[in-house]
Amino acid sequence: MDIIPQLVLNSIIAGSIYALIALGFNLIYGATKFFNLSHGVMAAIGGYTVFYFAKTLGWNLPLSIVVGVLLAGLIGYALDKLVYFPLRKRKASNMVLLVASLGLFTAIQAIIAILFTSQFQTLSQNISGQRIYEILGGVITQTQLTILISALVITVGLVLLLKYTMFGKAIKAVSDDEEVAKIVGINTNKIISYVFFIGSAIAGLGGILVGFDTGIEPTMGFALLLKGVIAAIIGGVGSIYGALIGAFLLGFVENFGIWQISGEWKDAIAFILLILFLIFRPRGIMNK
Amino acid sequence: MSVLQTKNLTKRFDGINAVNNLSIDVEKGKITSIIGPNGSGKTTLINLLSGMIKIDDGVVSFNGSKELSKIQPYQVGFYGVTRTFQEVRLFEQMTVLDNILVVLTERNVFNSLFEKHKQYHLKKAQEVLEKIGLWEKRNQLAVNLSYGQRKLLEIARVLGVDAEIILLDEPFAGLFPEMVKIVSGIIKELKQKGKTVILIEHNMDLIRELSDHVFVMDEGKLLAEGEPHKVLEKREVVEAYLGE
Amino acid sequence: MEYLIHLAILFSIYGILGISLNLVVGYTGLLSVTHAAFYGLGAYATAILLTTTGIGFFLSLIIGVLVAIITSFLIGIVLSKFDDDYYALASLGFNTIIFALFLNWQSLTRGPLGIPGISRPELFGFDFSSNLSFLILSLIILVLIFYISKFIVNSSFGRVLKAIRGDEKAIQVFGYNTAYYKLTIFVISAGMAAVAGSLFASYITFVDPSSFTVFESIFILAIIILGGLSNMRGVILGALFLILLPEALRFVGFPPDIAAQMRQVIYGLILVLLMLYRPQGLLGEYKL
Repeated sequence: MDIIPQLVLNSIIAGSIYALIALGFNLIYGATKFFNLSHGVMAAIGGYTVFYFAKTLGWNLPLSIVVGVLLAGLIGYALDKLVYFPLRKRKASNMVLLVASLGLFTAIQAIIAILFTSQFQTLSQNISGQRIYEILGGVITQTQLTILISALVITVGLVLLLKYTMFGKAIKAVSDDEEVAKIVGINTNKIISYVFFIGSAIAGLGGILVGFDTGIEPTMGFALLLKGVIAAIIGGVGSIYGALIGAFLLGFVENFGIWQISGEWKDAIAFILLILFLIFRPRGIMNK
Repeated sequence: MSVLQTKNLTKRFDGINAVNNLSIDVEKGKITSIIGPNGSGKTTLINLLSGMIKIDDGVVSFNGSKELSKIQPYQVGFYGVTRTFQEVRLFEQMTVLDNILVVLTERNVFNSLFEKHKQYHLKKAQEVLEKIGLWEKRNQLAVNLSYGQRKLLEIARVLGVDAEIILLDEPFAGLFPEMVKIVSGIIKELKQKGKTVILIEHNMDLIRELSDHVFVMDEGKLLAEGEPHKVLEKREVVEAYLGE
Repeated sequence: MEYLIHLAILFSIYGILGISLNLVVGYTGLLSVTHAAFYGLGAYATAILLTTTGIGFFLSLIIGVLVAIITSFLIGIVLSKFDDDYYALASLGFNTIIFALFLNWQSLTRGPLGIPGISRPELFGFDFSSNLSFLILSLIILVLIFYISKFIVNSSFGRVLKAIRGDEKAIQVFGYNTAYYKLTIFVISAGMAAVAGSLFASYITFVDPSSFTVFESIFILAIIILGGLSNMRGVILGALFLILLPEALRFVGFPPDIAAQMRQVIYGLILVLLMLYRPQGLLGEYKL
């Protein structure tokens, strides 16, 4: 097995996972202009919901997945209504929103740990029975292929939604200028809460897929959040394409970066990439 | 004698030249006003001169210094420049007294750690605060002052700095007549002390009363300059204000 | 009684952490979420030196402070390029990088295994092995740090910090190179955090990376926001509250590992509630 094709595949898979997180993050940032650090925990919520319904309660798997995605979206929606919207209403500064999102993230992650223990769990039914595909000299599992396809489908879906539907155009209007959007009659707060729903649902899906690929643990949200944020920033905050580009760039840099050094340094490499971008190109790749 | 000079000064925002190839000469010890319709680049010019925004093209020189194409905000004091802000930028959560003391005390990081504030700092603070009538309110937070008091506090702040070149961005905007009197009195006093005042203002009576020289800006360029009563009568100037 | 002494020692350590972070966040207005990194550097310096060399506690403390100073100087230079949200995000990144160092530089830190068997301090033949004596030592150091911070805050330097918090560009125009000021206070604050780290290492006699995660930084942030930013007595109150409250949970009967997660839920929720209803904290003057 050639190492380079495998590295390429690994990069693409990692990029797809990060893309699922970054897409939602960028969508929310575009509409609200703040860094929603509670976004990562939505992935954990998705993963654990499926775990609960499918493994603990024994529900039908596809149904559990739907519930997982919806619940993640709902909780994101609820957080906006309960916390972020009241803060936006009284014109709280971005720092206040950021601190609030940190607090929510901290609390929710701990609640998950209390409910489900800190143990690492996996969502897949049978460990050895997964289908494996060989592509261009590298190996990829069925789950990983699903991740890749999901990331692409969702990106395309979002782009179509934003470009061709009234709803999508309203989102774009709010992202461009909330005040003007209000003036032309758009109910900006309703749009924003829908954005939270969609973004969080996508993150939830990401968490579920990661659960099938590697597994779930309460702290997964933080790791995914950081990677997602890094991808979002280097791709360009607020941009859909940027999330995708940034995510894949991050995936490649991480996986090729650890080629010669030990894999434990992946996180550090990701951060160094972030810091470099923040210094030299803070608007990201897609924004000017 | 020229105390401030710009040559081909240019600043671009989103493809528009907010300040467009501006070359002016400000004479020492005089009160110079900059007037022009909204958007003509007056505040941008002051921001460039005080290092708040980057110069795109052209140079500035102060008091015979070399020609500068880059100005850092914390260097302008060295060139003898200080300023007030159109939108009033005080240190809101600090007391009136602290707002003044902070521009008087030690600039060096290390030295400032070991200084509380000296007696002469307090005396100077008292002097400038009494001039604008805010000494009694010295322990109030700046955020609790009225609009007029806040504008006066900004004036006191520049008085404390005691610089040679003082840039005032619409110092009279929104002030009651008694306060307008105080501020114009202070400006005249500054001229008496030999300071150079550059003033952005819209009120034509005040322009006529105070200025020795007027620059008229329009669309980032110098439209006219000269003595107030001559300039204000020029047709181009009147047209610029009334629009095309 | 022993239990109270234990709580009091923890209170002293977190008091030092809170006071030092407050200098950066409360007085200068920089949302730094990386304090646990410097806490950890001090702890590991003491841990490593005390277990592998003949160097005593007090010398190890000084070395820990030096390590923190150098590291924070480098980090501070990079951070100074950022504003507000990006500053917070970048600081999170640095915390993660340093945590990765603690976890992965196994030849130095023994990674997740941690470093056990750290001895108690010894000074001129006096051994601080009794908790009571250690408490007295911690309290003395806390008082020292308190008064040093008060000195800084009441000086001209402190006044400049508050002006930076108020309007950094405006104070620059009056001749202040604010980057130097921000860097200086960041470094001083980091050195103090390292002192707390050394105390922690010697008291618990064991360190491992899990004490120095981003969530620890968020906890310290919660302490100072709860007590009231830029209010030193507020920090003391906040530290008291956030140390005692979770301990009270143990009395109510939660098992220890759940109690740790409950603590996280509590301070996470406290942060959210504070942002929503009382951003100035208990004793605060300054709202985020």
